[in-house]
Amino acid sequence: MIALLSMELGKLAHLSSVRFGLVVLALFPWLWAYAPGVFDVYGFFIVSGFQVPALSLLSSMAFLLPLLVAIAAAELLGIEIQHGTLPTVLLRPVTRSQWLLAKLLVVSALPFLALAWFLLASLVAGASFGFGSFVGGTGLGASGLLGTGTMAPAAAWGELLRAYLIAAYALLPIALLAVLFAVLFMNAAAGALATLATLIVMELLVVFPGVTPYLLTSQLSAYVAPASDLGWVVALIAFYCAAFAAVAVIVFERKDF
Amino acid sequence: MDAAPNRVTPAIETVRLTKRYGSRPVVRDLSLRVQPGEVYALVGPNGAGKTTVIRLVAGLAFPTSGTVRMLGEDPHERPSVRRRLGAVVEAPAAFYPYLSGRRNLRLHARLAGGVPAGRIGEVLDRMELTAAADRPVGIYSLGMRQRLGVAAALLTRPEILVLDEPASGMDPLSLHLVHRVLQEAAHEGTAVLLSTHHLEEVVAYCHLVGLMEEGELIDAVDLRDRRARFRVRVSDVPAAVALLRAQPWVREAQRRGDHLVAALAPGTGAERLAAALVGGGIDLLEIGPDVFDLRAHYRERVTAERARRTAVEALAIDAEPQRLGRAGRAEHGRGGAR
Repeated sequence: MIALLSMELGKLAHLSSVRFGLVVLALFPWLWAYAPGVFDVYGFFIVSGFQVPALSLLSSMAFLLPLLVAIAAAELLGIEIQHGTLPTVLLRPVTRSQWLLAKLLVVSALPFLALAWFLLASLVAGASFGFGSFVGGTGLGASGLLGTGTMAPAAAWGELLRAYLIAAYALLPIALLAVLFAVLFMNAAAGALATLATLIVMELLVVFPGVTPYLLTSQLSAYVAPASDLGWVVALIAFYCAAFAAVAVIVFERKDF
Repeated sequence: MDAAPNRVTPAIETVRLTKRYGSRPVVRDLSLRVQPGEVYALVGPNGAGKTTVIRLVAGLAFPTSGTVRMLGEDPHERPSVRRRLGAVVEAPAAFYPYLSGRRNLRLHARLAGGVPAGRIGEVLDRMELTAAADRPVGIYSLGMRQRLGVAAALLTRPEILVLDEPASGMDPLSLHLVHRVLQEAAHEGTAVLLSTHHLEEVVAYCHLVGLMEEGELIDAVDLRDRRARFRVRVSDVPAAVALLRAQPWVREAQRRGDHLVAALAPGTGAERLAAALVGGGIDLLEIGPDVFDLRAHYRERVTAERARRTAVEALAIDAEPQRLGRAGRAEHGRGGAR
């Protein structure tokens, strides 16, 4: 299993969607750091380097990050289909579920790796504003970007790390859903598109208030949710992840190659 | 009580193997057996179902009905049996293009649970790929990729080799190399099942040839029987045929044009045949092996099978209006009775 995992991790670096995503995530925070119209749109000026990661996350969780994660996750399976290497690997004495499990584990790491990179890039982009105490908020805590007074760096770091960690966790079922669709369609593009279509449909389902708390898309803003709601979010996302992974393994076990 | 017969477990065995995609049968009722050390070639037109058989045997596709056994084990129930399998199921063989040939083989070795030190270099050398071993596979030619595929299949010294057109797109030298390597593997006891269109090459060393058409095995030829056949030119063909038919070590003797063809019992050579003819007062003008023309046999059998199918379909079309007419009359009769 360790051999499989290290093999799959190695493949990540060769995915064009991962390379593209890394570039996008590295450049995106600079837009916020130097955008001339931030005050016109949001009514505040960036005063701290801690606010750039917040603005980056706030503006990308609805579409950009789910898109990048879904495409990269689907491509991790799709690259095997594209190169024809899937049958070759399955001819070796590894079970299909072992192999897919390795893929799912690496795909699960994707949102965390992506957000770690995004946080790093945002901090670099915001470095010119400094990381000392500042008057205002990070945008990721209860007091928003305006804050309730002076914020110490330790508190700001805490809010950033908490928010990025929860955001990565909220993206996890999207990555697994993309793998499930890629397994169903045996095609990376179809897998990514089906995932995005599912998310768009879920967005529209907010017109059914009874369903809204259970939707994947409703969890994408969990990184600003109060601590009291986090138990529910964690459990629901874990359920989605387990369900998507289990269905993907069951379907994959019976596929003809 | 009689002791149970000592049966060798076949390296590959399929029993009434059937594969359907929807309602379309791709492989029908296919039974074959390959013993250790045997080479079994599946030949047939494109779309005959050879690749599907290869994938079913390798455990990549699931049979709709029937069974596949690899050294007595079901490859789906016991994936560990694949430790004893080497296979090429794609043409050209598929590898990660951004890795070198050597690194691709290392990856295969890891997935297989490891190979002895030096084995990767050995198979690369065997397939004449040492010079290109450290170049990315993405820049390999079709033939090089195919040779790397065979190298990957040989990596673990498998007891079974399953190969789908392992020499397609190769130049004559590479083609010869691949078939020589397969012949050597069989000589060392490996069971080889391959699909191919290279009839001249396989007839030289294969033991069995299965001819497929429309998903069915329409003929299986044991080439070992064919190798003990001799083509003889004599002064008096009818007398020679009569003389040979009387010999217990002659399995078959028949006239073919101005020659006679004799099939001898295993272990009997041309010397004995010649001695018998000369001893019987027949002038022996020429003697040589009767080379089996697989291409002609293939053409003849496939054409005959297609003609048979066309005739069966025509009969079915003719019979359909009659059947419908009878059914209609019966329905009308029942309606009248009411």
